[in-house]
Amino acid sequence: MSQSIWNKLQMIDRRIIYWILFIILMIPFIRPLGLPVSITDQTKDLYNGLRSVKEGEAVVINISSGVSAWAECLPSLVASVKVLNQQKAKIIFWTSFVDGQLTYEAIINKVPTMKDRVYGTDYVYLGYYAGAETGVAQLAKDIRSVFTSDYKGTPIDQLPIMKNINKAEDIKIVLSSDTGDVCDYYIRQWRVPFGTPVAEIGIAMNYSAYQPHYKAGILFGLSNGSRGGAELEKLVGELGDATTTMDAINSSHLLVIACIILANLGYLATRGQK
Amino acid sequence: MDKKKGKGKKMAIIISGRVTAFIFLVTCLVLFYIFMYMAKRGWKVSIRTFPAVAAIPEAIGRAAEMGKPIYYSTGYAMETLSNPDQGPQTLAGISILGYVTKLAARSGVKIYYYTCIPDSLPLVEETMRNAYLEEGKPEDFDPDVIRFLSGQSPYLTATLGFMQRERPAANIFMGGFYYEAVVMGEAGNTIGAMQISGTANTHQMPFFIATCDYAMISEELYAASAAIAQNPDILGTIKGEDIMKLVILALIGIGFIISFTGTTFLIDLLRM
Amino acid sequence: MSEVLRKEVVYLITAIVALTMIVDYFFGIQQITDAASMIRTWAVVISAMALALGTVNLMRSHGNIVRKRVPGRWFYSGVLIFFFVLTTLLGLLNINDPSSNPIYKWLFDYPYTSLGQTLYAITGFYIASAAYRAFRARNIDAALLLIAGIFVLLKNAPIGEVIWSQLPVIGGWFNDIGQVPAMRTFLITAAFGLLTYGFRTLIGRERGFYGEVGGGA
Repeated sequence: MSQSIWNKLQMIDRRIIYWILFIILMIPFIRPLGLPVSITDQTKDLYNGLRSVKEGEAVVINISSGVSAWAECLPSLVASVKVLNQQKAKIIFWTSFVDGQLTYEAIINKVPTMKDRVYGTDYVYLGYYAGAETGVAQLAKDIRSVFTSDYKGTPIDQLPIMKNINKAEDIKIVLSSDTGDVCDYYIRQWRVPFGTPVAEIGIAMNYSAYQPHYKAGILFGLSNGSRGGAELEKLVGELGDATTTMDAINSSHLLVIACIILANLGYLATRGQK
Repeated sequence: MDKKKGKGKKMAIIISGRVTAFIFLVTCLVLFYIFMYMAKRGWKVSIRTFPAVAAIPEAIGRAAEMGKPIYYSTGYAMETLSNPDQGPQTLAGISILGYVTKLAARSGVKIYYYTCIPDSLPLVEETMRNAYLEEGKPEDFDPDVIRFLSGQSPYLTATLGFMQRERPAANIFMGGFYYEAVVMGEAGNTIGAMQISGTANTHQMPFFIATCDYAMISEELYAASAAIAQNPDILGTIKGEDIMKLVILALIGIGFIISFTGTTFLIDLLRM
Repeated sequence: MSEVLRKEVVYLITAIVALTMIVDYFFGIQQITDAASMIRTWAVVISAMALALGTVNLMRSHGNIVRKRVPGRWFYSGVLIFFFVLTTLLGLLNINDPSSNPIYKWLFDYPYTSLGQTLYAITGFYIASAAYRAFRARNIDAALLLIAGIFVLLKNAPIGEVIWSQLPVIGGWFNDIGQVPAMRTFLITAAFGLLTYGFRTLIGRERGFYGEVGGGA
């Protein structure tokens, strides 16, 4: 009998795990825990980098994450734009994803201070660029050869924000929000040849992959998915979606750990008997 | 976090800050060419056996015994072959597909190929058709086994549906995968399929290692496709690559030792 | 033009373009820089045309399925074609600002966004079951991996700090220092892989690039 319990611990039906996970993910939304979030060096450096932008300096926000990554990337983007608005920086949005406009519109809707800023003068959305790394390389040399107008068709030379801005050297920093390798393109085509500081706002899966770049000083900051978003929200002083998500992350991580411990208890108990 | 000033300043011939990189590049290219030439002249380049590749005949045999198909995919790979990081992975995956298709054609096993990369379709069709032709069974090739879905999510959903309905005996994932890796790997485990994978995307390697019976990581995908194709060009360049890796290793070791002396000679040299 | 000559022309164009880019990066000769810039602009335009290629392939493959009434699949392909045509028409009606069209906006804001996020969210469930199934202390290596994984999980979740203040410190060490050498190794090897691929493409020996893919057996 006791042996069958140990075997059962190793073979819990995955549907049971899914249901338990589903239920415990709901609980924090009903009764939030509100545990404090400590700030990591990577996020702090990202925040400090945003604060170093002076009034009137241009920042590029590259949106290379789709709507599926909103839970992880959107809070960091929103918090970053809030800081940049406080710094009165000029913000240039562009995207390499076909649904990047949805993310741009979500940022505009979620940042209240965008109402105080003038489209075309303080911020602009240039739209979609094709060509992956080739497109990024060409943007570094000549933005106007890739974008002749913004996403609404207004010629780029009629946009006051784009006056005297046409290449990597005219940009203060680049924030790349992506779910894959697009930040590598900005590292290779903007950071290394021209020295333009680059930071990554990415999903948690990318965090480990970009650590070497951060440690080497190639990236000035790094945001770790939802956790990074919560840290940025805390630094900005306006808690939002990512902070709410932290409670769900608490419960899901604890469940995963509990499952691992149970499985290993069962495994170790039965190992000697095999 | 200030911009590095003076970067990109043009010297007499080579742009400042890129001299060492240029020397390194030229050295690499010369070495690759030498080894490629030697391989073509008959010099034997041996690449170790990859358990994942050795398991492919086993997977085909399993499918033949069970009377079930095989699922093959080269991943999302940013939906294009022209991506510099993902395109080579997709091409390596297609190269291995040719090998798998030959074995499958020989055993009478059906392979289903799912993709969301439109520019790979002609290549895949030609690869699979040629594989059936080489086995003397051109009439067995059915183009409908190549299934194209636009977008990562539709491709993933279609794969999950296929796995639930058809219950393939083996799943082979070779290429540039993103978040679909863990979902497809785990779904394959649910149905008890034998799983073989290979990717150079660092963020997905752990998921494949956790969910697949055999996993190739990083360079192994390219080396495996070279070992299967037995192409002297590719084998020679892989040998040259290995030599350069040893050079890098030596530089790291020297740099580590020098760092205790406090000098920045090596760093300055590499930044030249 | 013979097949062989056609391929030679492709190899030649590829080699010229690749050399132009390499020379532009290292030497900064103005004429080469201008040529490289022009080539990159062409590449961006051609990549945009790849969207059209994808569209044609999509319509072709799913159109065939509908035409042949493939059992179990033709209905879904029909739905795909319907929504593709609908979204295209709606977008073209307001070509300068498609999201001003309420139906177009609704399609993206509700079905598209929700479905995309749902598909991504199921990853979490699969990771949970994969971790349960795969993280077994079968040997010393697996046990160390397991322990490191638990520390990193507790570093990510704020509750880790509540349980013990040093948990995030240890987890942070694994994340920020412990795994960095391994990641650097992957970066270096991946870079070499790209270098060799580029070299073979440059000299016209990369067959897959030109549609000559096949495997030995």
